[in-house]
Amino acid sequence: MGSAHSDSPAALFIAQKILIAGGFGSGKTTLVGAISEVRPLRTEEVLTTASIGLDDLAGVASKKTTTVALDFGRITLGQSLSLYLFGLPGQERFSFMWDELSYGALGAVVLADVRRLGDCFASVNYFETRRLPFIVAINCFDGAPRYDAQEVRVALDLAPDVPVTLCDARDVASVKQVLIALVQAISASRARSSRT
Amino acid sequence: MPSGGPWRRREPGPVVRPYAVTGGRTEPADGERLDLIAIVVATGQPAGAGDRLRLTPEHRRILTVCENQVTVADLGADLGLPVGVIRVLLADLIAQGAVAVVPKRPASERSGNDVLREILNGLRAL
Ligand SMILES: Nc1nc2c(ncn2[C@@H]2O[C@H](COP(=O)(O)OP(=O)(O)O)[C@@H](O)[C@H]2O)c(=O)[nH]1
Ligand SMILES: [Mg+2]
Repeated sequence: MGSAHSDSPAALFIAQKILIAGGFGSGKTTLVGAISEVRPLRTEEVLTTASIGLDDLAGVASKKTTTVALDFGRITLGQSLSLYLFGLPGQERFSFMWDELSYGALGAVVLADVRRLGDCFASVNYFETRRLPFIVAINCFDGAPRYDAQEVRVALDLAPDVPVTLCDARDVASVKQVLIALVQAISASRARSSRT
Repeated sequence: MPSGGPWRRREPGPVVRPYAVTGGRTEPADGERLDLIAIVVATGQPAGAGDRLRLTPEHRRILTVCENQVTVADLGADLGLPVGVIRVLLADLIAQGAVAVVPKRPASERSGNDVLREILNGLRAL
């Protein structure tokens, strides 16, 4: 992004990014909405499937586009620090957006619904491959069977350093604990990689 | 971007309407995709003077919000426009020198560990 940078003073605040992943219906929108200080924005990201020339108005009519709601939340953590949460669209057909959304992210929360654990395989694989620190948060839906963290760890074949925690995505205190657990995991992961 | 798949036909979506404000353009003029948490700010330089591009009301709204440093994602939230649209309009304003991307703080100023500690303390204090 060279040319666009200004000579103006550096940023007054630091913006950091955390991702919320998990299958469809795993509670991503709920979690972001529970803790965000901005109204849970569901910005419509318009995806174009064909590129057209600039100002090619004639091309507009034939262009194939679709929209996806993007979960976005913000938590101000001080005068000069803001934490941004972005949901990764769970459906596979939007997975090409993951690279863009995860660029520069500190880490990720993978929400798991024990009734459909398979739905979070894709996110777990993705963060493992990208070596992005993540934690698994088991979202406790009413009536869902109780699994303990160890069972989930085995089912997802998680590395021992990936924390597994329980959460209620509707409850701000619970979400806060999940984010704290993630930041601790990120610190631990950095300490490990600086030792090697 | 994928070249398309079966989902296109199943979900055509409300299509192009949001891009009416960009004159149908879906990619920023300079081809750069600003990060969602990139911080931008108005430079105070007048925009549009003698330029081919006329400022739309959306350009002007962006300029107003950008009087203070703001992230691309927050701009989208404030203006109720898709991030893709914001990027196109921002690129116009950047090309005219009316808006600038604020450089990230040099890493030395605050180490990554300091930032993590600050996030942790901030979360605990919520
Ligand atoms: N009981 C319970 N329901 C939840 C919880 N989290 C989400 N839900 C509900 O599950 C449904 C899907 O959640 P949503 O956030 O839309 O999932 P998303 O597709 O991952 O964004 C919604 O009806 C929520 O109200 C939770 O922790 N407990
Ligand atoms: Mg959702």
